[in-house]
Order: sequence, then C-alpha cells, then structure tokens
Amino acid sequence: MKKLLALLLAVLMIAGTCIAFSSCKKSEDTIKIGLSGPLTGSAAVYGKGVANAAQMAVDEINANGGLNGIKLELKVMDDVNDPTKVATNYAALVDWGMQVSLGTVTTQPALEFKNLSKNDNIFFMTPSASADAVRAESNGYQMCFADKKQGVAAANYVNGLGLTKIGVFYQSDIDYSQGIFTEFKANLNDTITVVEASFTEQTKADFTTQVSSLKDCEFIFMPIYYSEASLFMTQAKAEAGIKTYYGCDGLDGLESVLDLSTIPQAITMLTHFKSDADNAKTFVANYTAKYGTDTLNQFGASAYDCVYAIVGALKAAIADGKTVDANTSASDMCEILKGQLNGGYTYSGAVTGTGEVKWTSEGFVNKEALVHVLKEAAAN
Amino acid sequence: MEFLSALLNGFSSGGTYAIIAIGYTMVYGIAKMLNFAHGDIIMVGGYAMFVSLMLLNQPLLALAFAILACVLLGITVERLAYKPLRGASSLAVLITAIGVSSLLQSLAQIIFGAAPKMPTRFMINGTVVLGSFRINYSTLVTLAVTVVIMAVLTVFVKYTKTGRAMVAVSEDRGAAQLMGINTNRIIAVTFAIGSALAAVAAYLMLMKAPTLSSTLGAMPGIKAFTAAVIGGIGSIPGAMLGGVLLGVIESLALSVPKLAPFTDAIEFAVLVVILLVKPAGLLGKARREKV
Repeated sequence: MKKLLALLLAVLMIAGTCIAFSSCKKSEDTIKIGLSGPLTGSAAVYGKGVANAAQMAVDEINANGGLNGIKLELKVMDDVNDPTKVATNYAALVDWGMQVSLGTVTTQPALEFKNLSKNDNIFFMTPSASADAVRAESNGYQMCFADKKQGVAAANYVNGLGLTKIGVFYQSDIDYSQGIFTEFKANLNDTITVVEASFTEQTKADFTTQVSSLKDCEFIFMPIYYSEASLFMTQAKAEAGIKTYYGCDGLDGLESVLDLSTIPQAITMLTHFKSDADNAKTFVANYTAKYGTDTLNQFGASAYDCVYAIVGALKAAIADGKTVDANTSASDMCEILKGQLNGGYTYSGAVTGTGEVKWTSEGFVNKEALVHVLKEAAAN
Repeated sequence: MEFLSALLNGFSSGGTYAIIAIGYTMVYGIAKMLNFAHGDIIMVGGYAMFVSLMLLNQPLLALAFAILACVLLGITVERLAYKPLRGASSLAVLITAIGVSSLLQSLAQIIFGAAPKMPTRFMINGTVVLGSFRINYSTLVTLAVTVVIMAVLTVFVKYTKTGRAMVAVSEDRGAAQLMGINTNRIIAVTFAIGSALAAVAAYLMLMKAPTLSSTLGAMPGIKAFTAAVIGGIGSIPGAMLGGVLLGVIESLALSVPKLAPFTDAIEFAVLVVILLVKPAGLLGKARREKV
C-alpha cells in the first residue's frame, strides 16, 4: 500500500513538473501585450468591453497563425479607473514581460501610464484614453480621436447649423469632458450664445437644477459619458423646449441603458464607431455571440483595432527586414512600431472610422469621424 | 425665479441627504462607529426595489420589499461584522465597515453587471405650474416624505420606551446597561431604523433620477456623512439641518454656471468654516475628551 502511495506521489510530482515547465515554455514563446483598465467600479463597462474585444482579437490572430507563427498573449490588470493603481499594475506587467501595451482604457490612468512607460520606452496604443496629453510622449499613440479633434469637429458641425443659442452640459472635473468643451467653445462662432451647465463626480446623481437651467435651449451639446447623459435625458423628458441632443463618442452605449423611444428629443453623436456600419458588422456579430451586448461599445471596437493595428505594423516591419520575435525587447519593439506609424503605415480593415486608419506625423490618429443619428425627434 | 427653483431643488435633495445622514448619525451616536457601508445599503435597497418591481410591477410594494430587505441586511451586517468587534478599537471597526462596503458593491456588480439600470417606472413626472414658476411633483413628494420622517422620528425618540433607551445608550452605554437596558438589542434596532431610512432614500433618489448602479450609494453616502458632521454627528436634528443646508448650498452653486465646477469645493469649504467656529458641528454637544 505504502509503495503504491509513493508511486502515485512520484507520478503526480513528475506530472506537476511537466505541467509547470510546459506552461513556462509556452509563455516564453509569445509576444506579450499588457493592458490596464477598469474591470470593476463605475467604469467597468468600458474596461470589460476593451478586455473582451482585445482578447477576441488576440484569439483570432493566434488562430490564424499569430504574428508569422509567434502567438500573442494578453494580460489585463484592473485599475478601477483609479490613477493611483496604475503604478502597481504597470510594475506587474513589466515583471510579466510586457513587450507592447494597449496602455489604459480611461484618461486619468493614462496620464499616469504615459509617464511610467516613457522611462522604459514601452510602446502603447490606447483604445480610448482621449486626452491630448496622452500623445505628449513619443511612445504613446491613440486609436480614438484626441479630445481636441472632437471639440473642433463638434464646433464645426454646430457652426453649420445656423443656431443663435445653444446649451452645453459638461462634467467639469474630468479631462475628457472639460477638454472637449474648451476646444468646442474656442472654435464656436461668436454669434452663438452658449448657456452652460455642469456637474462633477460628486454631483452626478441628480440633474434637476441643470435641467431647469437648460430647459429653454433647443440644441444641447453634451460632451459627457452615456450614463450621465441618459440620466439627464430621462429627467428632461418633459421639457418641450429642448429639441436635439448632440454628443461625442462618450454617448456610445446609450442604447444599452436607455430605451431611446421614450425620449422625445433627437439624439445625434460624433463617433468613430457605429455598430451598424458595414466594416463593423463582423466584429459586432462575433463579439455579441461571445460576450453578449452588455459591454459592446466603441471602447471595445477600438481595442480590437489596436491589437490588429499593432500586429499589422509589426508584420509590415518584418516585411521591411526588421526582426520581431518573442525575445525582442520592449524598447526595440517601441522603436520599430514608432518607425512604422510615423512612416505612413496604413491600417486597413478597421472596425472604427471608415476602415482606414493612419497616424499624422505628430502621431495623432487620422481617420474619418462619423455623424451617427441615434434617434430622430419624435413626431409632433 | 431661477433662484427660487434652485432653492426648492436644494431643499428636496437636501431632504434626501438628511434622511441618509440620520442613518449615519444614529449609528454613530449609539454604537460609536462610522458605518461607511451605510451608503451601500441604499444601493442594495435600490436593487431590491428594481428586482421586486420586475416581479410585482408595483412601485409602492417594491418600496415595502426594499425596506424589509434593507432592515434584514442592516441587522445581519451588524450581527456578523460589527458585533464581534464591539470591544475592539474604533479603527478596526472602521476598516471592517469599509470592507463591508466593498463587499456589497462587488456583489452587486457581479450579480447585476457593470452597466447601470434605468428603472424609469419609479419616476414621478409632471409639474405644478404657478404662473411662470414650475415645481416638479417629485420635489414636493421628497419634501413631504422628509418632513413626515423627521416628525415621526422625533416623536419616536422622545416619547417611546425604545427611543428613550436609545438616547440613554448614546449618552452612556455602560450606565444604560446597568439600568437594565439591553444595549445589543438597542444597537440592532438602530441599525434597522437606519437601514429602513436608507431604503426610503433609495426610493426618493430613483424617483427623481432613475439610474441604478453598484455605486449608487457611494456618493450620496459621503455627502450625507458630511451633512451629519456639519450638523454635529450624533445629533438627529443636526443631521436634518446639515442635510438640508448641504442640499441648498449644492443646488445654488450648481445653478450658477461659473460656480458649478467649484460646487464640491464650496460645500467642503462650508464644512471647514463651520468646524472652525463650532468644532462639534452646528447642533453637536462639545465633549471634553479625557486623555
């Protein structure tokens, strides 16, 4: 009996070592992509969308032979949309052997991430952290539009509408909303009167006061996120003075929480992702089949594009004679990718924009903005 | 007119803060602990209402169910997490409360998902029009509910046996115990009342602004805690006063576009000034600490 037990133990130990070594070996041979995003907390719906879509892209690429035979591996750390958690996550990702990164999902953590990654010269392309400052370091790229571009594009759109008075509803304590609002105001025609109302993270539970400030504005620009927008729209349902809402990519996801048919006003948005666009259909179908519609949003679509764009740029670099494999250092990888993106690399087949994505010589993303009519005004 | 409607909105949101602040202040007064999970009881109340609305399709029945659920939760949390620490340092209890708060938030997120829910069925639409002045029904309902709750609570504390026992425990727990008051029972009752009020607060919040996520209670919880400190923590009338004051300041600041971004700063500046002038809060009793 004892002998049998000893034998069993020995077998188990050998098996254990085999498993340990084989898993070790497997992860040695991959290209490691790291990401920090909010998997819990109030912004979790964005982080989960990004984590799911990035994993989906990685799985698809691996199933099609990876990067010229080398498999990819993705590691996602939770930062709860809290900048103070980013340093720990970053260190863990570097320890793990991260060679290239998707940065962070949201803007505030991204500002921390860019400082950390600058020192190690690690390339990152964030799917959704849109602050202009993300691009301040040469190793940071965006797949989403920078706030500046959204603010300018929105102002141009509004200038063309021939209005004399508009309302703006923004969040004053986040870079995303404040940044777009500042650029928007700077580029708006002087002939248009702006009625402002705002809120902060601490005052976003109830918009009664703001609704009553804006109730006489026919057109309201709201460069905010969808959950706050949906609350404002719900609270302002009865305001017949308001005819149209117009927002930026933050409104994406509105349909997931709000039955748009209950809102009498028209809702339009500037975006880089439309779930019913031709180039997005396959992505949307695959994503929905795997993860449902709960977390399907532009953040995820953008992350999906980030993975494909990075792999595409690496493939292009290999075609140019560069060596890229599992042993390439993060810093070398960064230089190779910067060379490609600043050298006019075009990523086609994107699910965001109209399918083609480039980067300007300053490193800002260059693709088409789409005007998406979420909902027409109700009749009568 | 703008000013008047902002003032009225302030009274209404202040009323909600006051109801939450009463929960903080009663628990502090009687159990001498800061129950930082109080805000999350509101959130649980919100989800309980949401679920029962789906099943029963009756907002008021849903409220009753939520009150029941919150009372049970409050008593359970007290029994499992706080009672074993009755003799421990206040820091240990504080950390436990923060732990309970995280636990409740994470559980809600796991069960209901990260995306916010919008139970618009709770909304009370419609306005009363007085000339050019309009008042939302929801504002009026909130005001009425707040006044009734405050009156009932005042009577309860002053004239019932349990209420008076609560006052006694908050004055001196040891002496109250010697007088034959079952302090454990009184503490449980306090948690039950606080949690029931949290459920009512959840209803008032969803009635005006129907957005439900796992962080529903976090922010109003902090606001109400501030209100309780402004009024003097441990004092029930203080919590009411502090809540209404905070709500009015917040609403007035938000209604002025140039001041709106500084709303939080203004609120906490008021807190600092009040604590400088009256360190125990507006209606708090100054106590000499024995060192």
